[in-house]
Amino acid sequence: MGRFHRAIGVVIFGGAVLGAALLAAAIVLTSPGARSRPDDGVLFGVWKIVYDTQAPSPRVVLAAFGLALVAAAGVALLERRITNRDRRSDRPDELPLAPKVVMRATRGVYAGPVTVTVLIPAHNEEACIGETIRSLQGQSMAPDRIVVVADNCTDQTPDIARSAGVEVFTSRGNTQKKAGALNQALTEILPGQGDNDLVMVMDADTTLDDGFLEAARRRMEDDRALMSVGGLFYGEEGKGLLGQFQRNEYTRYAREMKRRRGRVFVLTGTASLFRPRGLRVVAGHRGSLLPGVRGDVYDTLALTEDNELTLALKCLGALMISPAPCTVVTEVMPTWRALWAQRLRWQRGALENLGEYGVLPQTFRYWAQQLGIGYGVLALSSYIVLIALMVVSLDSWVWFPFWLGLGVVFSIERVVSVWKGGWRARILSALLFPELFYAMFLNVVYVKGVLDITLGSQARWKHVVVGDDHRKVRVSE
Amino acid sequence: MRVLPLGILLPDSTLDHTWFAVLSAFVAINTIMYTALALAKIAPKIYLSDLVHRRDRRTTNRSIHPAPDD
Repeated sequence: MGRFHRAIGVVIFGGAVLGAALLAAAIVLTSPGARSRPDDGVLFGVWKIVYDTQAPSPRVVLAAFGLALVAAAGVALLERRITNRDRRSDRPDELPLAPKVVMRATRGVYAGPVTVTVLIPAHNEEACIGETIRSLQGQSMAPDRIVVVADNCTDQTPDIARSAGVEVFTSRGNTQKKAGALNQALTEILPGQGDNDLVMVMDADTTLDDGFLEAARRRMEDDRALMSVGGLFYGEEGKGLLGQFQRNEYTRYAREMKRRRGRVFVLTGTASLFRPRGLRVVAGHRGSLLPGVRGDVYDTLALTEDNELTLALKCLGALMISPAPCTVVTEVMPTWRALWAQRLRWQRGALENLGEYGVLPQTFRYWAQQLGIGYGVLALSSYIVLIALMVVSLDSWVWFPFWLGLGVVFSIERVVSVWKGGWRARILSALLFPELFYAMFLNVVYVKGVLDITLGSQARWKHVVVGDDHRKVRVSE
Repeated sequence: MRVLPLGILLPDSTLDHTWFAVLSAFVAINTIMYTALALAKIAPKIYLSDLVHRRDRRTTNRSIHPAPDD
């Protein structure tokens, strides 16, 4: 374990820079031709425009097109191969959660009907805990047991939970945030759970859509080798333009997950169900096959404990899925500052988890994803620099029909991919540039995350507190 | 006629440098690559495994309820 640690940032971003440098070198070697001079023209007989018919040669267009598609298909195919190999494997020592191993261990045994115990880790969540519990109790197949894991609460969270008729587990001397509190609760609860007594972990600021639990139960009933069902999250309404940016992002992610037929990237901390066997086996392999302390379900050193648990389960061969009906609505960050803190934690956590696990078949997809983001940072930055240079250098506004055409394709993709998000989502996407700005913001977060890891600065959790009026926001550390 | 009063910061000749040609070619190729990916995302996703006969269809009972022959 611990193959990369602080070098992970340099390895990933360095890889992206290397890719970009190779492309630039190839361009220099093929010596691009001089800039063509724009022409004048008249549009609709009245509007005089300056335009430039400059477009790359068909060979270049085809090569770039092919390269992108081959790279994307290659990553997807390799990921499928690795997943299928793990799915069919029968190596109990290396992959103790692989379907064949689990099915052999449970053949002919009926462990009782499926039950659901929900754990809601909560640190001062009085503003939303009531609504979260109500959404659970209102499910078409409500959970059998709800436990609010109150972690160092100084507000009314435990009282609100008790008055709603659910159990409260209070963490004792916990200094390891959410993961530490969940570990304490799971240590107490897991020993009493049979193979079909599922454990669901969900955030206090999340509301389950109706049908989530019914669909998840059915999946778990049909396949006793299935170790986890993850939720698909959508952003809550409100919070203006910033909220819409985040909702669009989540809508696209959910669409992508459906196109992947539910093959999981991350078992989201917002709401995911686990078979106790999966959690027990993970806890038993920490300190050997997996990072962390033996006996802990969650690795308390991970900034993104849900992402880490996903990797842990995948590395042990566990089957998991995010079915389309399992949707949840989660909080969107109300300010740019809060979003910055959230994304820095996600980004840094994802990179640190990768550094911890190293290059494994099961982490291949995540490496490719991080390299892709790194390359995207370079591509978008160079695009913005180019546009800025042209704006400050050209004497007159020049239209480039070829590139405008590509811009239209982008707009269509942006709109199609958020279509389900409604009119506001579609209009914002069609404008293209606001979302480019948002993407650039996330890119800056990415670079900051890489720098922080490389320079070894201390990672800290930030907690966003939303007041009763849902407006007052405090970011505390 | 000038449509917009631009070009106030850098001379027009800035764009004639080789490094600008390299930058614009780099951006051009990236733009085409990302357009290809955008098109792939608009198009419905096709799974080749749907079109061919599947040999690896599940043959054993995986339900939590044991089958009589389990």
